[in-house]
Amino acid sequence: MLSNDTSVRTSFMSAEPITVTINSREFEVPKGARLIDVCRDKGFDIPSFCYYADLALQASCRMCLVRIDKVPKLQTSCTIICTDGMVVTTQSEEIEKAQRSMLEFLLANHPLDCPVCDRGGECELQEMTFDWGNLEERFTEQKNYQPERFLSPMVANDPQRCILCKRCTRVCDEWMGEDAIEAGGRGAHTVIGTYGGWLDCSQCGNCIEVCPTGTLLDGTYRHQARPWELAQTISTCTYCSDGCQSSIGSRAGEVMRVVARDRYVNGLNGEFLCIKGRFGHPFVNHEKRLRTPLIRYRKGGKLIPATWDEAIRHVAKRLDAIDAEHGSNSIGIVGSPRITNEANFVLRKFATELVGTQNYTATEAFSLRPFFENLGGQLATHKDIRYASTIVLIGGEPEELQPLTGKQIRQAVRNGGAKLIVINAVPIRLLEQAAQFLHIAPGSEDAAVLALAGSDDDGVARKLGVERSALQTLRETLSDAQGDVIFMFGGELTAEAQIVLAQLPQTMAADGRRVLLHPLPLYNNSIGVHDMGMMSGAMNTGQMLDACGQDIRAIYIAGSFQPNDLHLHPDALSKLDFLVVQELFETSTTAFADVVFPAASFAEVDGTFTNNDGLVQRVRQSIPPVNQSKSDWMITAQLAAELGVDFGFQLSASAVFSAIATEVPAYSGLRYPLLKDESNPIQAKHAIAGRRD
Amino acid sequence: MSADLTKIQPRSQPVNIGSEVASFSPAVEAEIDSHLAKYPVMRSAILPLMFIVQSERGYLDPPGVAYLAKRLSLRITDIWEVATFYSMLYTEPVGRHHIQICKTLSCKIMGEPGITEHVCKRLGIKPGETTSDGKFTVSLVECLGSCGTAPMFQIGFDYYEDLTTEKVDQILNSLA
Amino acid sequence: MFIGAIGCEPLQLRRVLLENSRTLDVYRKNGGYEALRKVLTTMSPDDVIAEVKKSALRGRGGAGFPTGMKWSFVPKDSPKPKYVVCNADESEPGTFKDRYLMERDPHLLIEGMLIAAYALGAKTNYIYTRGEYRYLIDIMDEALAEARAGGFLGEKILGTDFSSEVYTHTGAGAYICGEETALLSSLEGMRGHPRMKPPFPAVSGLYACPTVVNNVETLTAVPDIITMGGEAYQKLGTEKSGGTKLWSVSGHVKRPGVYELPMGYDDMEKFIMDDCQGIRDGKKLKAVIPGGSSVYIMRADDIIGKDVRMDYEGIVAAGSMVGSGGFIVMDETVDVFESTKNLTEFYKHESCGWCTPCREGTDWLVKVFKRVANGGGRPEDAQLLLDLCDNIEGKSFCPLGDAAAWPIQSAIKRFPEDFRKHLVEGPL
Ligand SMILES: Cc1cc2nc3c(=O)[nH]c(=O)nc-3n(C[C@H](O)[C@H](O)[C@H](O)COP(=O)(O)O)c2cc1C
Ligand code: SF4
Ligand code: FES
Repeated sequence: MLSNDTSVRTSFMSAEPITVTINSREFEVPKGARLIDVCRDKGFDIPSFCYYADLALQASCRMCLVRIDKVPKLQTSCTIICTDGMVVTTQSEEIEKAQRSMLEFLLANHPLDCPVCDRGGECELQEMTFDWGNLEERFTEQKNYQPERFLSPMVANDPQRCILCKRCTRVCDEWMGEDAIEAGGRGAHTVIGTYGGWLDCSQCGNCIEVCPTGTLLDGTYRHQARPWELAQTISTCTYCSDGCQSSIGSRAGEVMRVVARDRYVNGLNGEFLCIKGRFGHPFVNHEKRLRTPLIRYRKGGKLIPATWDEAIRHVAKRLDAIDAEHGSNSIGIVGSPRITNEANFVLRKFATELVGTQNYTATEAFSLRPFFENLGGQLATHKDIRYASTIVLIGGEPEELQPLTGKQIRQAVRNGGAKLIVINAVPIRLLEQAAQFLHIAPGSEDAAVLALAGSDDDGVARKLGVERSALQTLRETLSDAQGDVIFMFGGELTAEAQIVLAQLPQTMAADGRRVLLHPLPLYNNSIGVHDMGMMSGAMNTGQMLDACGQDIRAIYIAGSFQPNDLHLHPDALSKLDFLVVQELFETSTTAFADVVFPAASFAEVDGTFTNNDGLVQRVRQSIPPVNQSKSDWMITAQLAAELGVDFGFQLSASAVFSAIATEVPAYSGLRYPLLKDESNPIQAKHAIAGRRD
Repeated sequence: MSADLTKIQPRSQPVNIGSEVASFSPAVEAEIDSHLAKYPVMRSAILPLMFIVQSERGYLDPPGVAYLAKRLSLRITDIWEVATFYSMLYTEPVGRHHIQICKTLSCKIMGEPGITEHVCKRLGIKPGETTSDGKFTVSLVECLGSCGTAPMFQIGFDYYEDLTTEKVDQILNSLA
Repeated sequence: MFIGAIGCEPLQLRRVLLENSRTLDVYRKNGGYEALRKVLTTMSPDDVIAEVKKSALRGRGGAGFPTGMKWSFVPKDSPKPKYVVCNADESEPGTFKDRYLMERDPHLLIEGMLIAAYALGAKTNYIYTRGEYRYLIDIMDEALAEARAGGFLGEKILGTDFSSEVYTHTGAGAYICGEETALLSSLEGMRGHPRMKPPFPAVSGLYACPTVVNNVETLTAVPDIITMGGEAYQKLGTEKSGGTKLWSVSGHVKRPGVYELPMGYDDMEKFIMDDCQGIRDGKKLKAVIPGGSSVYIMRADDIIGKDVRMDYEGIVAAGSMVGSGGFIVMDETVDVFESTKNLTEFYKHESCGWCTPCREGTDWLVKVFKRVANGGGRPEDAQLLLDLCDNIEGKSFCPLGDAAAWPIQSAIKRFPEDFRKHLVEGPL
């Protein structure tokens, strides 16, 4: 288990190979390789519980024992770094007895309640017990009893099932930097828990995920279903731009849980998910989901349920009329960074090719257009982040807004010895990891970027409100840096600053130093919505709302306007002649809508999201569309058909994606089959602009 | 889910375990400082400080734990994991006089059972219990390093060795 | 209780019986801090290490590792600070020698530590004392204050430019914190879990800096080694293990106590029967645990007339180990099944819980012992106990697992009758 994270192995290894003999077969392995990884890599099964790639070594479960020639005792292969000429035995009577007995010890006080345990069917302890078979029950004594309890509404805990592999306490510390759950007590009375039994943390639930037994369980899913009843669908998380891969467990059209257990999915996030990705799924089957298309026949009237045909026909008629009366630019089309590339792509075609309006945009406050138009280097993947030598974080709060990026940064510093430089107006929690913190004046992020680009210190330093020497240190760190230097930036940067930053690779890259970029936009498809050209229209949402009632007479929007956009333009939407909304729920935007189409959520559609690495990842349908909802692009395509244009996608998302692959250069050559393996994600080829002066 | 569940406690301050944080006299604070001064790393002082808090407050009660977390800028959980590992640190109250009778081999074969029986009879409690007036707690503990003067027990930090039932009576009387 | 030397001039116990032996004054009057002066004024750190190597001093904490060699593992060139840590956790059942050394001759320990500190270039040193020994910590603190005032400790010791500090630190009740890496975890304010070796403390110990951990008795031997010279010290003992050794004698002997014997003292029978004045109230000797609870138990007939030499090799040859020198004597009234149960309960209580075999194994062993003791014994239980021990031994993270297994293995092997009684005539 888990050894399939080869990144850890490759990380410390120098090129020169050495020879080790395993079960009298010789192998060439890279110097510095870890024995347990090598054995598994070469197909020799080694049982283990406490070993977990890229977490601190524990060597406590003692399952991974092997014999190494000329060493008196059996050795734990998880702690052994291969040396040249090492001779190893992983299978022998002696070793099998040792491993069996460890398992027997672990089972001694373990309750025999697999039938009622939520982990039953996907429990590493249970599986290993089955694998070994005929473990006669020699333990006939009283088992130590510990009561079940809830550590929080999210985390249910049955301490008696614990085998003390301490994966939970380590991910809590090393991934999340929270250290909220620990081992207390001593000896046979050791128990995983917290002071007063209350788990005070971000509730990410990663402790649940990595638990090999039924000790830590999803409190929201407790006793809801058995794993084997669930259909597991690999998909991409819809909550932030990191694009974690997860497995949606569904039963009878209902999403029961979202997990990242490596038995189901092996994405860029490993088994990591944050609270949103793991526990945020109940909206999918929420009873408030729109049930049918709705039409408001006269302004001020009520939204009245209608059939799809009525609704589509109604919209087509009105758009035609407004087009005829006020011209095509009077129709605004608004996409969304929350919906698939396919949806945004079809919407853009609809805007540019069918309606022929210049006024299209998306509900994305932070346009990366200037960044991508001047992109001077590659986007960093999350793996690049983990093995970076230097990370510069300008603005942003990854731990809150892009939690996986936050975790990668922490591990890069903790396990990889990376230097983290935080440039922020507020002291974010990642400071604990930072080698340098520039506490800059609010709103001076732009100036910080200029400072990086090397413009005059004094003025900049004053503007930033930091010592000139601090900037000097920063500069030195960067000029000395070897390996990968990664610049990350949050949504604070203006267009000008984006351009400068996008160009840094052109000016800073050097021998032995790659310079990579990592934007931190908010939404799961912020990059995709840009790639699909949805951000290239003549106005942004603000301008469009300003123009409502004058230049803009009708708007067709997928999703809803940002609440604060509407707040800034209170009665804009009421000035429209016609508003069409594609939504999951009634919102402050549908309140003004003349027609509302019930849209399908990410769990109900096929498609792709593009994450902040530029990785194009699959979204897969795990349940049929809820109620009468349809996927966004289908609705748009039907509307187009009603208006007399057949986009010719034959109701298949893959057809839409092929169209994307032909029309969007960065996606050329991509096909769904190429995106099948979530463990080898493919990066869109964003054009690299040469040096600009 | 309520907001306070999702917020992350910065490492530098304790989570809220009841708002009360213990406070100590300047003299005690000075003693605490003298311990902190011994180590390049603050956390090293955790055991000495726990003993001080324990002797001031009887046991490591929530305000005491909150104090330790604050003083050492650790998380409450860090205090908990350490406090529960060591057998001399109490997270529950104990009697004012904690009679710890050594039950390990040398004492055992030199008459510990008789002593234990006598002590328990006199106090009317079993090992592990505390008298109703909260005055005495009796525990059986592992080797205290007095095997040459067995049987023995420790009350608080004081050693009482070469015990006989008569001696036990004198000692208990002097405490009564 | 007896304290003194047998078969040699008292060396480490030279002062313990004097009036106010723990005061600086008495210590000075009896040659105290002269070794330190000699070291600081006439010897280089390497000279000191060489001298200790010559002395054939072996660690008295239990492992018996050659002290000079351990010191020489500390990387001279390391830019990191170095630490000397005195292991005064003395928790091995049957062991109480360190206690009397600290109680009655605290300055000897301070001097020993400072000499070690000089040899290793340590500016800060700690004495990790088990929490139960609070009164010893107070005594040490007093002595340290005295030494500081007298210019023997702190800045510019004895007017030389060598400066080094010694601090006391308290444990809080955990036998495992006597294991050197667990001790260091504890000293860093963590749970007292052992750490992976390698890296060994000498390379990466306290705060990941080079650290030497030595037992009290080991460090208190150093000043005499310096004074009399390594060779002379070695000659007091045997070639492989030099000097004298303190034995903590407890149990059914007429005269328990702390005995200083030359290494290689002849022989164990004489020691028990004459020096310790034999077994109480005319009873017969039944069993001896010579080196603290963790070593193999010996039968009387492995000792009587067997001429067992009391040093590392001699006792190994006789089927046990020197360990910490916790010498527990048991007469015929003792039921070895009961005594073994008692020790197993100790190891269960003290298992730190880190690794599977020790945590679950000791718990299981105790449950079997309890069942058997309550009359639920079955013939196959002897085999069960032995197999559980075999599954723990050599597979645990630290040696405590082995320490829990050995007493049981040796007891069942050497006292089958005591087990058979309880296991209703099972095969043994
Ligand atoms: C479970 C266990 C308990 C130990 N307890 C002690 C102890 O109480 N005192 C001690 O000096 N050494 C103890 N040791 C030995 C130490 O690990 C270490 O070897 C010793 O302190 C080194 O000092 P020395 O070389 O002077 O003997 C123990 C070892 C183990 C495995
Ligand atoms: S053997 Fe394992 S459980 Fe026992 S004390 Fe050592 S590390 Fe802890
Ligand atoms: S995997 Fe090696 S000891 Fe647990």
